[in-house]
Amino acid sequence: MMDDAAIIERCLKGEKDAFRFLVERYQAQAVGHSLAILANREDALDATQEAFVDAFQALKKFDAARRFYPWFYVLLRNRCYKLIAKKREAENIEETEILAPQAGISGEERIALERALLSLAREDREIVTLKYLDGFSYDEIAELLKIPRGTVMSRLFYARRELQAKLTGKFH
Amino acid sequence: MFMKEMNCEDVLIQKMALIDGEKSEFSAEQIDAHVATCENCRREIEQLERTVLLLNRQKRQAPDADLWSAVEKRIGAESAGGLTVKWQPFVLLGALLVVYKLVEMIPERDFGWILKVVPFVLIVAVFGFLKENPFKINTELILEK
Repeated sequence: MMDDAAIIERCLKGEKDAFRFLVERYQAQAVGHSLAILANREDALDATQEAFVDAFQALKKFDAARRFYPWFYVLLRNRCYKLIAKKREAENIEETEILAPQAGISGEERIALERALLSLAREDREIVTLKYLDGFSYDEIAELLKIPRGTVMSRLFYARRELQAKLTGKFH
Repeated sequence: MFMKEMNCEDVLIQKMALIDGEKSEFSAEQIDAHVATCENCRREIEQLERTVLLLNRQKRQAPDADLWSAVEKRIGAESAGGLTVKWQPFVLLGALLVVYKLVEMIPERDFGWILKVVPFVLIVAVFGFLKENPFKINTELILEK
């Protein structure tokens, strides 16, 4: 499989179609991340599409020594925050969009947790999902969000505390 | 050795880092020593651990998305890295040619053949910079209906 740096090099040489490999490699992950911020599927798809176009236009500025996705994530995040998200009614959801159905976890439990996640501030939801749904380390989150590791620690702590307060009485 | 003073908030933040499998700024012994004597911290850690356990069992949805055709349309007219040719190089070329013409009009000055090749050099330089062949026929041109 061609690595990201080789794809980017081909794009910069004028092979526009090579960008397709990057789009197809990261689109599901990117839509998942924008969904966690925007909580709206249509908005998430729009933001991700725009972010890929931004990435293509900015490829020349990409530092080949870095990994593609953390660089792209900044563009994706900017796009998400530019979008005026339609506020989703957290109390009315009947199916989850952020959390995937899994064996051993009831639909009720999953929906209740997603409601709690949706009631968090977007920044809190983003950091919590990066940590627990993607399994990124504190250092990786610091790289993605461009904040110091210590800030990741404290923001995660307060976000989790907030989430725990929302969940009190449901699972605890 | 200097030991940073810990309050409950610090302890909880650092303890959560340890639970997440991350490095903490305090040693596990320091944290445990505080927790052993602090009922509030113990209670809060228990609750936060349950939340972490619940979160750790979840997975993110990877929604079906096929964005390439939409992205392809958007980048169709551009090249990677934003190298889209804009109007500025042509304005610069025009300005340089005007300057050239003014220099050429200076009376009783003979710059010889060197001055005569300046416009060609300028044009070649601009098209060289743009990596464009001005004589290339664009076979992909499609007239709008």
